[in-house]
This record gives sequence, C-alpha cells and structure tokens, in this order.
Amino acid sequence: MLLDRIYAFFEIVASLTADPVTLGILFGSVFLGIMFGAMPGLTSTLGIALLTALTYSMDTPMAMVCLLAIYVGGTYGGSYSSILINIPGTAAAAATAMDGYPLAMKGEGGRAIGLTTTSSAIGTAISMLFVVAISPIISSFALQFTSFEFFLLAFFGILISGTLTSPDLVVKGWISGFLGLFLACVGRDQLQFYPRFTFGIPELDGGIEVVPVLIGAFGIPQIIEVLKTQIQIAKAKKLQKIMPEIGTVIRNFPVIIRSAFIGVGIGSVPGIGEDIAGWVSYGTAKNTSKHPETFGKGEYQGVIASETANNACVGGAMIPLLNLGIPGSPPAAMLLGALMLHGVTPGPMITFEHPTFIMEVAAILLLSSMAMWVVGMLLAKQVVKVLRIPTPLFMPIIGVLCIIGSYSLGLNIFNLYLMLPVGIICYFLISMGYPIAPLVIGVILGPMADENIRRALMVSQGSFMPIFQRPVSLILFLIIVFTVLSQTPWYKRGLAKVKNTLFRSN
Amino acid sequence: MMDKENLRKADFFSGSLVTLFGIFVVVKSLGMPMKDSWGGVQNVWYVSPAIFPLFVGSMLVLLGSMLIRTALKTIGSSGVKAVFQYLMSTVFRGFLRSRETVRFYGILLLLLSFVFLMVPRVDFFLAATLFLLAFFCMFYLDRADLLIRLMLLYCIGMIALLLVLLLSERLSAVLQHPGDWFVLVFSVLFAVIVRIRISGNREIGKKYTIALLLAVAAPFLIGIIFKYFLLVPMPYEGLIIELLDVIWYAEIWG
Repeated sequence: MLLDRIYAFFEIVASLTADPVTLGILFGSVFLGIMFGAMPGLTSTLGIALLTALTYSMDTPMAMVCLLAIYVGGTYGGSYSSILINIPGTAAAAATAMDGYPLAMKGEGGRAIGLTTTSSAIGTAISMLFVVAISPIISSFALQFTSFEFFLLAFFGILISGTLTSPDLVVKGWISGFLGLFLACVGRDQLQFYPRFTFGIPELDGGIEVVPVLIGAFGIPQIIEVLKTQIQIAKAKKLQKIMPEIGTVIRNFPVIIRSAFIGVGIGSVPGIGEDIAGWVSYGTAKNTSKHPETFGKGEYQGVIASETANNACVGGAMIPLLNLGIPGSPPAAMLLGALMLHGVTPGPMITFEHPTFIMEVAAILLLSSMAMWVVGMLLAKQVVKVLRIPTPLFMPIIGVLCIIGSYSLGLNIFNLYLMLPVGIICYFLISMGYPIAPLVIGVILGPMADENIRRALMVSQGSFMPIFQRPVSLILFLIIVFTVLSQTPWYKRGLAKVKNTLFRSN
Repeated sequence: MMDKENLRKADFFSGSLVTLFGIFVVVKSLGMPMKDSWGGVQNVWYVSPAIFPLFVGSMLVLLGSMLIRTALKTIGSSGVKAVFQYLMSTVFRGFLRSRETVRFYGILLLLLSFVFLMVPRVDFFLAATLFLLAFFCMFYLDRADLLIRLMLLYCIGMIALLLVLLLSERLSAVLQHPGDWFVLVFSVLFAVIVRIRISGNREIGKKYTIALLLAVAAPFLIGIIFKYFLLVPMPYEGLIIELLDVIWYAEIWG
C-alpha cells in the first residue's frame, strides 16, 4: 500500500516534469509569486486571486500548478523586502525583518537570502511529506463524520480563526466570522429553495459568488491602504554572494526541522496564516537559543526559523483544505474558491472522486519548492529590481486586474457591484481592528454549516442529543465551549487563581 | 489600525451597528416559513430556511452587545459624549480635509466611477486607460496641489459622462458609441491639462511620461490577454474593441 503510494507519487512527479509547458508554467508562476511577495502591498493571496481568473480556462492540474506555485513563491518572496528594505513584502515575512534587515546592514543580505531560500524550500518539502502522510488518516477519519460533526467543524473553524487572527479584541474576530456566515445565507437556501435576503434582486438568487467576494475582501483594502498612506520605500541594500554554505545549513538543520513542524501545525489550524507561523517559530527559536540576546541584531537562526515556518505552513494549510474542505490559511481560502470553479470539491470524498488529487498537490508542492530554490538562487538579483518600482504605479494596475478578474469569473457584471462594496466595507473593518480571514472563512464554510445543521436535525427529528452521544461531536463541542470560555474574564481570573495557588504551595 | 483608546470609541459605534444589523437579520428571518407550508410542503422548525440566519443574527446581536459593553467599560459614557463632541469640532473637519483623507476620497472616487459608471457602459480599453491615467497623475506624480484639482476635473468629467450616457440613445443617431468618444476626448484633455500644470518641472515631467505610457500600455496588455487569449468578452465592447476585432480577425493573418 505504502509502496504503491510512493510509486504513484513519483509517477505524477515524472509526468509533470516531462511536460515542458507544465515546467514553463511552474517556473513562471514561482517567479511571478516571488515578485508578488517581494513587492510591498502585494500578497500571495492577491496573487492567487488574480491568477484564478487567468487559470479559469486551463485544465485542473495545470491550474493547480499555477496557483500552488504562486502560493509557494509568494510566501517566500516576502523575505526579499523584509531583508533588504526592512518592509515585509507580505505579513508572512514580518518576523523575517527582525533579523534579516540587521544582516543586510552588516552587508550579509545575500547570504541571508540564500539561507532563507534554502530553508523555505526545505520547509515546503517537509510540509509536502505531511500532506502525503497525514491526508489518508484524516480523510478516512472524516468519512465517519455525520452532519452534526460537519456543522461543529465549520463552527469551530470560524471561532478559532476569529480567536487567533484578531489583532484587537477576540469578539471582533467572531463578529467578522458571523458576518461572513450572513453573506453565505444570501440567496435561495439549498434545501427548500426559499429566497433569503435577496431583496427582490434576481442576481442574488444564486447566492453570493465566493471568488469575487474574496478578491474584494483581500484586494480592495490593500489597494486603498497602500495608496492612501503611500509608503516611502528605502533603497534596497546590495546583494553579494547568495549561495549558502552547506555547513551553515547543516548547523541550522535542527532549527529548520523544528520550524517546519511548527509551520505545518499552525497551517493545519483553520484560517490561521503564514504570518502567525512565522512569529511563533521566531519566538520559539529565540526562547530555545543559547544566545537569545543576538536575536534582533542579525541572527541567522531568526530568519531561518520564520522563513521555514511560513513556507511549511503552505503544506499544513493544504491538509484541512483537501481532507475537510476547510481552508487552513487565507491563501488556501482563495485556493478553495479556485478549486470549486474547476469543479473539485475538497472534503472527505475527494479520495473517491479524484483519487490522485492529493498526490498531485503533494507533487506540485515538491516541484514548486525546487523551482523556488532554483529561481531564488539564479534570479535573486533581478527580483530585487522590482523593489524599485513605486507602489502608485503597480497598485492601480492590480485594481484593474481585480476588477476584470472578478467579472471574468462567470462573466457577470453584478460580481463587480458586489466585489467593490465588500472591499470597501472590509477596508473599514480592518481599520477598526476586525480581522478579515474569519469573514472569508465564514463565507466559504457558511453553506456547509447551514446545510449540515438542518440535515442533522432532520435525521434526529429536531433533537440536539446526538452531539452528546457521538464521541467526535462531543469532543468538537467541548473544544468550542473551551475556546469561548477561555476568552471570558471568569476563566482568566480562575486561571490566575489556580496559578497563584500552585505558586504558593510551592 | 487606530490606537487603543480610539479603537474602543470606534467599537461602541461598530458594536451598535453590528447589533442593529443582527436585529435586522433576526426580524427578516422570523418572516421566513417556520412551521407553515412553503411550495406545498408542510414545514417543521428544524428544516426551516430561517433556522441558520436566525442563529447568525442572534449571535451578531449577542457579540455586538458584548463589544458595546467592553467599549463602555473602557471609555465610559463620557467617552461616547467625547466622540460626538469630536464629530462636531473643527479638529474633525480638519481630519476630513487632511492629505491622507483626501487621498482616500480620490481612491474611492476613481474605483466607484470605474466600476459603476465606466466598466458596464464604456469600451474597456478606454475606460481602463482613463482610470489608470487619473490614478497615476493623482498618486504617482504625488503633488498635493495637483491632487485636489485633478479630483475636481475628474468629477466634472464623470458628471459629463453620465449626461452623455443618459443621452446616448439620441446621440447614437449622430455618432456611434458616444460614451467612448467622450472618454477618449476627456482622457486626452486630462493628459494635456496635467502636462500644462507640471510644465517646468523636469523630474515630474519624466514621471508623467512613464505614467502616460503605462496608462495606455497596461489596459492593452490586460485587455488583449483576457479578450483574445482567455476569450472573455468584455463587459462593453465599443470603439477600440471593434477596431481590435477587425485587426485580430482580419484574414491577412491567415
């Protein structure tokens, strides 16, 4: 069985590499992703959003190569601007700037980029191993799920995403998630076809299309924010030798492995992105280091930890996405939208409906990490040149792409009328400290939650008792209750009391 | 994002809006079939289409109220009063006229006019060229004095375009695609006015040339990819697309 899987995996890798068009798309998308990540203001999520429209007419495997390569490249590309100009190209690379820029100031920017390229590639490759190894287990486990479990899982995804991504109060993250769920309610309901919140507008009957909402939620606030504040970008530091010494990589191997594990773990939690993985990994590297005082002053372990984790998060985010249909990060949410457009519905049934799909994703991840390493090593000096392009020149073009991209998915002008207001509302929400990831997760998971709670109640004749009778749903229910209670002042006071008691008794 | 104190003040208002919105969702949901029949099918409460929105609406009311409570605990009722006083003060009027806020108006004006006015009614290439030209001139040239003047000029242009589009049926008898012709003429006029305004400044002049070239080249590149390679029909195909169609599908290419 295992040998069959390994054989199937390498067969897919061979078939992908044997096709020159696929290889061209792979390298081109990785390069484009790196540029998207490197330019402050552009993100891998936005890159996937824009490429979704361009890949609409491609076949599914080719589109997946394109989208996953841009995801991997974009996550890594953020390190360029973090290291060379002290402005993270993406939120995922924010922790990289802590030590990357001091290294560039010392004239070691090239070496730092070489190391981040290598560690990012290793991080992605390790996460690919997890996708292959864990997916069958989760998938077969998820096959036991009934409607109650799916409802609770969707609810848990929104709650945990709201809890962990909120930059201010946790309650704002939850509100954001429920606003997303409301958007998912718009349109005719799936069981009885009753029009909900359509206000007599026929275009709303089919519900709100996910991809234009995602493009609006991620793209428009970014365009407004970047052009409104107009960040003055410092001159990028020059690059010297990029190829890292093997010895340095081997010396830091334990940090790379630990960071990859952190990245995969955080990536697999619904809605939590690469930025959190980067920070957690950076913090862990600092706390476990024998010389934490060097962190923040140009410590290689700092950049390695954050870059390995944020790239390992890509594979981690694929695990719940492919097996449960729950996106592990905002770019994965965008990817889910793209998959749905291509007629692939991720979830426990994916192994039956598309038996080789998970293997294909793993193979693309491996090839993307290799392509990223090659492009990073060969073209780093050229990529740095894009940092000289002023943001007011490329942001309006991104705006045009967002608009024409939203329209082209379904050739519906109404998508534009929806995309822009959603984007403007999201801009205001972001400026008031509301996270956007839970809203997006809510829009995606809303139909799943709605359909499953009603189906579950139909089977149980209106009884909620099965939640407490089925072990998985009981565990999920208890986790949800704990997630909510852990945010209350009573819990925090209680925890402080317990700590005090323990401290006194010692 | 705002600082913590201002965030709590904003929370009071956003929390109130969320609560009101939640109430609206609950009220609308209660109007959906719960136990009565819909489409000839006798309903039971647990399969009603209202059940999920009712849950979402109730949660929004609960969470919105929690946010209001947290905000009030931090800023107190005096904090709420202070917000109203601030909204009536000259400081707030100053904020509305600050450079960053004016830039924000400019971005909104350009995006809204492009999406709601131009894209559905004007040839995509022309609409995108004017949109990019205005964006570059307002934000890439980065001159505070120019920004407001160009915003006003653009506003006048959009009002005039609206009038042209309203009269398009009558105007079409004389000239095909009147909206397209108007946008073409207005774009040239806009570019000339900006050129006159910045004359004498070599550095800005150089930026202007880049902006002009990019404003024309980018829509053509994007438009050609979508229209001819991805075979996406544009929302409105007018003057330029008709011309491009003639060239693209001409038999001389074999």
